[in-house]
This record gives sequence, structure tokens and C-alpha cells, in this order.
Amino acid sequence: MQTLLETQKVSKLYRMGRVEVPALVDASLSIGEQEFVTISGTSGSGKSTLLNIVGGLDHPSAGEVIFEGRPLVLANKKKMAQYRRFSVGMIFQNFNLIPSMTAIDNVALALAFGGVRGSERRRRANELLTRVGLKERVDHRPAELSGGEQQRVAIARALANRPRLLLADEPSGNLDSTRAEDILSLLRDMVQQDGLTVLMVTHDRELGARFATRNISMKDGRIDHESTRHLLARSA
Amino acid sequence: MSLLDICWLALRNLRQSKLRASLTTSGVVIGVAVIISMISFGLGLQRDALSRFQNLDGLSEIHVFGSTLFSLAAKQQQGNSRTPQAATQQTAGGEFVPDYIPERALDDRALEEIAQIPGVVYVKPHINFSAYARANNRTIMDTFRGAPVPDPSSRLKSYAVGRMINSPDVDEVVVTQSFVRRFGYAKTADAVGQTVEIMDAPEAKDDAKPDDLVVARTYRIVGVLAEDPGGNRFRGLAAPSNIYLPLDAARSWKEEHPDPLSRVALRLAQKNGTVSRSQSVAFTSAVVRVNDPVQMQAVRTRLSQLGFGSFSFVDEFKQIRSIFLIINSALALLGGISLLVASLGITNTMLMSAFERTREIGIMKAIGAEEWEIKQIFFVEASVIGLVGGILGALLAWGVDALANRLAYRFILQPQGVEYLEFFHLPPALWICAVALALFVSMLAAFYPTARAARVDPVTALRHD
Repeated sequence: MQTLLETQKVSKLYRMGRVEVPALVDASLSIGEQEFVTISGTSGSGKSTLLNIVGGLDHPSAGEVIFEGRPLVLANKKKMAQYRRFSVGMIFQNFNLIPSMTAIDNVALALAFGGVRGSERRRRANELLTRVGLKERVDHRPAELSGGEQQRVAIARALANRPRLLLADEPSGNLDSTRAEDILSLLRDMVQQDGLTVLMVTHDRELGARFATRNISMKDGRIDHESTRHLLARSA
Repeated sequence: MSLLDICWLALRNLRQSKLRASLTTSGVVIGVAVIISMISFGLGLQRDALSRFQNLDGLSEIHVFGSTLFSLAAKQQQGNSRTPQAATQQTAGGEFVPDYIPERALDDRALEEIAQIPGVVYVKPHINFSAYARANNRTIMDTFRGAPVPDPSSRLKSYAVGRMINSPDVDEVVVTQSFVRRFGYAKTADAVGQTVEIMDAPEAKDDAKPDDLVVARTYRIVGVLAEDPGGNRFRGLAAPSNIYLPLDAARSWKEEHPDPLSRVALRLAQKNGTVSRSQSVAFTSAVVRVNDPVQMQAVRTRLSQLGFGSFSFVDEFKQIRSIFLIINSALALLGGISLLVASLGITNTMLMSAFERTREIGIMKAIGAEEWEIKQIFFVEASVIGLVGGILGALLAWGVDALANRLAYRFILQPQGVEYLEFFHLPPALWICAVALALFVSMLAAFYPTARAARVDPVTALRHD
């Protein structure tokens, strides 16, 4: 199994007035291709911070993130934007769709940033929405879609520019258990069928354990290697 | 992301806050309309004042002076040390005063030299003389003047009856209406086709009776000028005369009929070398026409270097222009203030917009937008406000100006019997400049909000619901 992503002693300190609060301390991990890894921990354990750093949205105070064998050039804004655009896709608990745009426009926006033009853009957006099971709902705005459907649009958008790594921050947090399972099984399908790698933050360790191949536990900003374990993926 | 996509996003954003966008735009509309109206008012004033000069040939003509024959005759042979000496400003009987005291005779060679100066279209000496003219059975002394045929200036162009002299070597003259009155024609039209005879008295010989006059030359009147060149509408630098004949004919008359004083002075001047031997007649002044008023100053400098004095209306013109420059600047400043207020409106709108869309910007960054792409979206939004506001403002100003012109004519000018005047003058360049200014100002106003929008931290932006 090839290593896709690695973090080396990544730390993040937040400054609150005079006090420095560590959100993440020396987090090192390695994710292989086509893995479905969950990060679990209580709130404030640093799991979202780690995800944001891996997703190129946040900068670590120390340490390195290595993607496909090359360290991220954190100081180069253009390169970081390109990384977010083509290398990783992100989905969030609150979906973060643009409310004034239809499902297809939300997906097309990501394709536009990726430089896909004209009819090809529309075709690809349709294809992506079909893949997540929203073929009939492409012209609906987020407010007209259920939570599960919104998260599917978000997944389609995250995968628009064919990233190899999908980062998910509590993707099922706002969904009822049935829809949550639907979303996670969709992600698992994508790992197994499309060769995607997923790194998912969740506080619902039970649910995660049913779909993921590995779980990483975090506590007080540190990776708790004791409780980190490989899970047997139970294929559906 | 292509520029087209950026424009699409920008327009979409504007559509979403229609009311705010249109209020901000109307601020720009008013600003631009005020600035255009103010300046067009200044330009209108300037044009009305200057149009009186524009019609004249004064803008492209220079009156050039040589030394008078008498001062040349008085001159002893001197060295060639010339420093142009500024003439004291004194007006001699309404004559034009040259800038420098002329030091050279305006002879044929001098005219040739002047004609060679770059920018000079032609140089024509002034040839005037008085003689007894006989027409309609009256013999009266009158003034004659040589005219270039055809006349390239705007003079001798409009006729009450008849036409201009056909060619430089025909025996034709044109006369003024005061000539018609002096010689007692019943109607203006009666003079056309009649003859004017220049009278001469031959030197008394033994067999001639002392009272015998002879007709020296005969001309046919072909036209009566619509207005007297010396009348209330003074056109250019030509002094008035009643009878105009071809320039060469006037010159040959002067050569053949010099007055005794001039004859002596010419001889003296030829003797002391200030006038060439071949010169048969002396000129004291000439008209130089330049093809572009801009070149006037250069030509005048050259004339003073050659030793001639000159005069042009442009001297007075410059001062008038500078006064209007001040007036226009003051008006533009007032308009500028309203545009400044409008630009603050744009800044406010864009800041609000950036604040409201913090989350959207965060999302865009998370899916890979670069800072310049975010900036461009905001710049395009501001540009659209500026451009639309500028164009609508220009249209508004055009409407207001047209209405004001009509009203001013209807209620101010017409009752006083004054012909239509443009109070507001709106040249296309003013439109274009105002729209470009609005565009520029709106982009400038968007600078800070745009920078703020681009700096949005995606982590913070995505956290808040």
C-alpha cells in the first residue's frame, strides 16, 4: 500500500492574549491509498485542526505535511490554492454549500476553479451529481434539499476536480442515523470502487467503525496511539 | 477561472442585492451627472466667449511689422549687433502694436525669408493707397487695398450682391456698402457691373491745360461686400478699405505712383544699404498666416529673430484661456466632491458585501479559489457599478444640459432677441472622460474592501453558521 499522506510532528498553537493554547501537539500519521480512516476524539481534542491543516486551510505552527511524497509549500499561497483545488476535497458537517446556487451550480463552481469550461463543465457536474444519486435534483437550491441530499451535493463538489483524498469533517453530524449511514456507505463505495482515500473526523466512533478501515484516536491535541486501531472493514 | 466566470459571479452577486447595488449606482449617476454638467457649463461659457474670436482669422494670422521707410532712411550704416528690443505698450490710434521694435525693412527678400519659416502658409504685404476714384459720375478720394485672389482667409467671402474678383490678373474690384453710399448709387445692386476709374493728373506740359485729369486705370465692380470689413464685426487683422483690387495691381500702382516723401526715403534707405537697390516699393506691414495656431509662438519667435515685430490676438487669447481654466477647474472640483461622496458609497457597499459573503468567500477558498480570483470578483462588481453609473450619469447630464439649453433660450435669450447659444457644451471627450473617471474611482473605492475580502481566513469563515 502506497503512502498518500503523511504528517510529521505537526503542531498548532493558538494565542489567546498572552497565553499560548496548544490545539495540536506533534501529530504524526500516515495514510495509505484507498484507506478509509476515521479520526475520533472528544471536542477540543484537535481532530478538526488536524483536518484543516491536512486540507491546506490552516497552517501548522510546526511540522510538515507530505502529500504524494512531497511536502506542502505552506508559504506559497498559489500552490496551496492549487493543492486545495486539485489534490484534496473537503466536506463539512454543515455542508457549506452556497445557498443562492443550485446543486449543479455549486458543483460547477468548483469545476470553474479547476478550469473546466463550457458544456464540459455542465456535463461533468451532471455526471458527479448522478454518481452521488442526485440526478433528479440538480436544479434545486440547498434549501430545497434534505440534509443528506445537501451532503451528497457537497461530496460531488469536493470530488469535482478528481482529488485523490477526501477530507470529511463530521459529515454525518447533522443527519439522522439512516441518512448518516447512507452517506458513509457512499464514501466507502467510492473508496472501494473509485480508488478514493478518505480521512474522516467523527465523534461517533461506533458508526465510523462500521465503515472505516482504521481509526485514529485523539486526546488533548495528541494522537492516542494506544487506542488507535485497525478495523476490519465489513464490506456490505 | 476565466474572466467570463468571474463576471458571471460578480453580476450574480449584484443581482442578489439589487436594491443596494442600484442605490450605490445612483450615487455614482448623480456624481457623474454633476461633474459633467458643471464642466459642460464651464465649457459652454468658454465657447460662447471664444466663438467671437474663433470666427476671425486672428487665430491663425500674425501681423508682422518692418521698419518704416523713414526710420530706415534716417539710419546710418550700423553693425549687425541686434538684440530684439521690446516695444513699449502704446496704442497709436487703435493700431496694433508689435511686440518688438522692428529693425529691418519688410522688403521682397524679407517676405521670401518669412515664407520659408516652417508653419507659414503664406505672407502677404499690406498695400494700401488713397486715390481719387470716379464712379457714378462722382470723383471722390477713397482708400484702395490690395487683396490676394482668391483670398485664403475668411475675408471677402460674403457678398450682398455679386462675387469675388475672378483671378489675380483681371481688372476687377469689389467694394463695400459704404462705397455704394458715398458714390450715390440708388441701390446696392446698381453698383455691380459699373466701372471705377482711378484718376491721375499728368505733369503739366506746355500744351496741356492745367485742369485736365486723365483716367489712369479702369476697373469693373463685380461685387459688393455684405458687411464692411471695418464695421462692427471686425474680422482679423486687416484694416478697413472701401475698394479691393488684386494685390499685384495695387503693388504696381504704388510703384508707379509713389508720393514724393516716400520716393526720397526709399532712395536714402537704398543708399545706406537698409533696403536693396532692386526694391521699388516698401512695405511696412504684412499678414503671415500659419497653418496651425499652435505653431504661432514659434513663428513669432523666428520673426523677432529675423528682426521684425509682430502682433497676434493669441496674446489676449492666452489670458482668456487661463481664466477659463480656473473657472473650469473650480467647477470640476465641485463635481469631483459629489463623485467622492459616491465613491464612499461604493466602499461602504463593497465592505458590507464582503462582510456578508465572508462564508461564501471561505467556501470558495476551501474549494481552491486563489486570492486574485476573489479580488477580481469584487473589482468587477465595483467596475459594473462605476461603469453603469457613469453611463447613466452621462445620459442624465446630457438630458439635463439639453433641457437647460432649451429653457435658457426660451426664457432668457429669446425674449431679449438673442440668437440660440449653447450654455452647456458637451463634447464627446467629456463623456468618455467622465465615464472613465467613474470607472477608475469605483475601482479605487473597491480597493480596501477587495483586499479585506481576499484576506478572509477560510477556517474562521467556515466555522460560523
